[in-house]
Amino acid sequence: MIRARQDLYVAIFLLMFCSIMIWASYDIRDLGYPGLKPETWPRFLLILLSGLSALYLIKSVKALKIEKVSSEGAVSHIGFWSKYQNAVWCFALFFLFLLSLDYIGMLLGGMLFVFALLTVLGEFTKKNIILHLIVSVISVGIMWLIFTYSLRVHLPAGEIFAVWQV
Amino acid sequence: MWDIILQASNDILLDPSTLLLMGIGVIAGLLTGAIPGFTIAMGVVLTLPFTFGMSATQGVATMIGVFVGGLSGGLMSGMLTGIPGTPSSVATTFDGFPMARNGKPGLALGLGVWSSFFGGIISAILLVALAPQLAVLGLEFGPWDYFSLILFSLTITASLSGKALLKGMIAGVLGLFFATAGEDPINGMARFDFGWDPLLQGFAFLPVLIGLFAFSQLLSDIEDSDQARRPLLEKAMSAARIEHRQAIKMIFSRWGNLIRSSLIGVFTGVLPAAGSSISNILAYDQAKKAAPDDKTFGSGDPDGIIAPEAANNATAGGSLITMMALGIPGDVVTAVMIGALMIHDIVPGPSFISDQPVLAYSVFIAFFLAHFMMVGTQALTLRLFLFATRSPMYILAAVILAYCSIGVFSLHNVQFDMWVMLGFGVVGYTLRKLGFPLAPMILGVVLGQIAELNLSRALSISDDMTLFLSRPWSLFFLILAIFSFSFPWYQTAIKLKRQWASYFIPVAMTGLAFPLFLMQGSVRPILALGLILGALFIFWKIGITNKGEKR
Repeated sequence: MIRARQDLYVAIFLLMFCSIMIWASYDIRDLGYPGLKPETWPRFLLILLSGLSALYLIKSVKALKIEKVSSEGAVSHIGFWSKYQNAVWCFALFFLFLLSLDYIGMLLGGMLFVFALLTVLGEFTKKNIILHLIVSVISVGIMWLIFTYSLRVHLPAGEIFAVWQV
Repeated sequence: MWDIILQASNDILLDPSTLLLMGIGVIAGLLTGAIPGFTIAMGVVLTLPFTFGMSATQGVATMIGVFVGGLSGGLMSGMLTGIPGTPSSVATTFDGFPMARNGKPGLALGLGVWSSFFGGIISAILLVALAPQLAVLGLEFGPWDYFSLILFSLTITASLSGKALLKGMIAGVLGLFFATAGEDPINGMARFDFGWDPLLQGFAFLPVLIGLFAFSQLLSDIEDSDQARRPLLEKAMSAARIEHRQAIKMIFSRWGNLIRSSLIGVFTGVLPAAGSSISNILAYDQAKKAAPDDKTFGSGDPDGIIAPEAANNATAGGSLITMMALGIPGDVVTAVMIGALMIHDIVPGPSFISDQPVLAYSVFIAFFLAHFMMVGTQALTLRLFLFATRSPMYILAAVILAYCSIGVFSLHNVQFDMWVMLGFGVVGYTLRKLGFPLAPMILGVVLGQIAELNLSRALSISDDMTLFLSRPWSLFFLILAIFSFSFPWYQTAIKLKRQWASYFIPVAMTGLAFPLFLMQGSVRPILALGLILGALFIFWKIGITNKGEKR
C-alpha cells in the first residue's frame, strides 16, 4: 500500500518534471544547421520519459486499487524521521559545509563537517567527542595535505584565512 | 607490434611509481571489497579523483588494481563471517563459510584466492585475444550501428533490473536526459541552463557518479543508527594462514569447473551491464548442476568456492573486452573507467586499440599484473581488513564523504561540482529508497552524449531513418534490444509454464540470423545458417513434446 502510494507520487512528480522540461526545451535556440537539432534529442527523451511515467502512474493506480487499505503499514511522521534522520542530518550538514566553504575554507570547513557529522551520528559522550575531534582533524588534515601538496590542487582557503595571506 | 608491447611494458612494469600506485590500488580494492556495505564500484569511483594528476596509463592501471582487488576482496568477509563483502561474492559464502567454520579457513581462503587468480588469468588471455578482433569488427560500425548498440546496452541494463523493469527504464532515460544539460555537443547551444551560467557546462561525470553511487550508498549504510555505531563486524575473527599449495592442487584437480566458470564469467562480462553479481551465482548454479553429487554443496564443497570466485574475476576481463573494443561499459566499474579516460581526452571506441595501442596494451599488462599483486598482497590485506572491521561504519562514512567532496572539487576547481554531487546524492538516495536501480541511470549518463553524437552523425549523412533497419549491424542490435527488453516477460512465462515461452529462444535465433545473412563474407552467413538450423531443431523438439502431451 505504502509503496503503491509512493509510486503514485513519484509518477506524478516525474510527469510534472517532464512537462516543465519540455516547456524549457522550447527555449533552446536552433541555428538551422542540417542534421540533429539541439532540442530534438532531449525532447525525444522527455517524451519517452513522459510515456514511461504515464505507464508507471497507471500501474501504481492499479496497485492502489487492488491493495486493501491497512493502517498497519502506515508510517507516522515520527517513524519517517527516525528512519531517515541520519540521511537528513547528513544532507543538511553537507549543505551548510558547502555554504560556509567561501568563508572558512576546505580545511577548517571539512574538519568541522566531519566532526559535526560524527557527533550527530555517533553517541554524544565525552570519550566520543574527543575521538571524533581526533578523527576529523587527522583525516581531513591528511587529505588536505595530499591534495594540496602532492596533487597540487588549490583547495578553497576561505576568506578568514585569506586575511592572513594578505 | 613488439615495440608497442615493449613500450607498454616500460610504462607499467619498469615504472616504480606505476607499480606502487597499482599495489596501493589492489590493497585498497581488496579492503573495499572485503568491507560489507562498500562496493567495488564505489572503490573505483573514489579512486578517480586521485587519477587526475596521473597519466592515462597510471590512472587506468590504478583503477584496474582496485577493480581486481575488489573482486577478490569480497571473499574474505564472506568466508570468515558469512557476510559477503560485495554482491559478487554472494555465492562464495554458500560453501566458503561452512568450510571455514568446519575448521578449514586457510583452505577456504586459499581456494578463493587462487580460483580468483586463475579465473582472472583465463579472462586476461581471452581479453588479449578477443578485444583486438572485436575492435576490428567494431570498425565496421557506422553511426547507425553504434546508436543501436547503445540502445541495446541500455535495454539489457533495464531488463536486468528484474521486477523493476519499468523503473529501470525510467532510470536509464533519466540518465540520458541529465547528460543533455549544458551546451549541446554538436552546435554548442545552451540547453536547460535556465539562465544560470554554471549550468552551461552541464553536469560533470564525476560529481554525478559520486553523488548517485557513493553518496547514496554511504547514506544507506548509516541509516540504522544502532548498526552504524557498532564495529563493522562484531564477531571475533583471527587471521587464518592461507593454504596455498593444497588449494592449487585442489583447483587443478577440478580444472573443468575452473574453465567452465571462467567462461561463464567472461561471457557475462562481455554483455553490456551484466556484471560479477550475476556471474558468480550463474557459475555456482552450473557447478552444482554439473557435479555428480550435489548434496555436498552448501556444506563446504570446494567446487562451490572455485566456481563463483573464478567467475567473478573472469567477468572483469569480459567487461574490459567490451569497453576496449566497442567503448561500451560492461558494468558500472568500466563506465567509471570510460569517464576517467574521457577526463584524459581519450574516447574509447572501436578505434581505441588502433589509435592508442600503447595504452591498450598497458591495460592488458596491468590486468595480468593486478592478479599477481592480488595474490601477493592477500595475506597483508587480511590483517588490515581485521583491523578495519573494528571501526564503526559512521566514522568511515563521515571521513569518506569529506574525501568525496575534496575529490569532486579537484576535478575542475569549482564549487559548483560539489553542489552537483549533493544534488545527485539526494536524487540517488531517494531513487534507491523508492526501488529504482541506479546502474541504468549511470550508464545513461555515460552513454548519453555518445548516443546523441552518433544519432547526429547518422542524420547528417542521411535523413533516411530506414537505414537503422536496413544496415545489418544496426538491425542485429535492434533485434537484440527487442529480445533483451522482453527477457523479463520470458522469465516470468517460464516460471508460469506458458506455451509461448518455449518459442522465445528459437524465434530470437531466427530473428538474429536474418541480419547475419545480410552481412559480407562467408563466416557470418554460416553462423546465420547455424542459428536457423538450431532454431529449427528446437521447433521440432517443441512439436514432439506437444504431440506427446496431447496423447
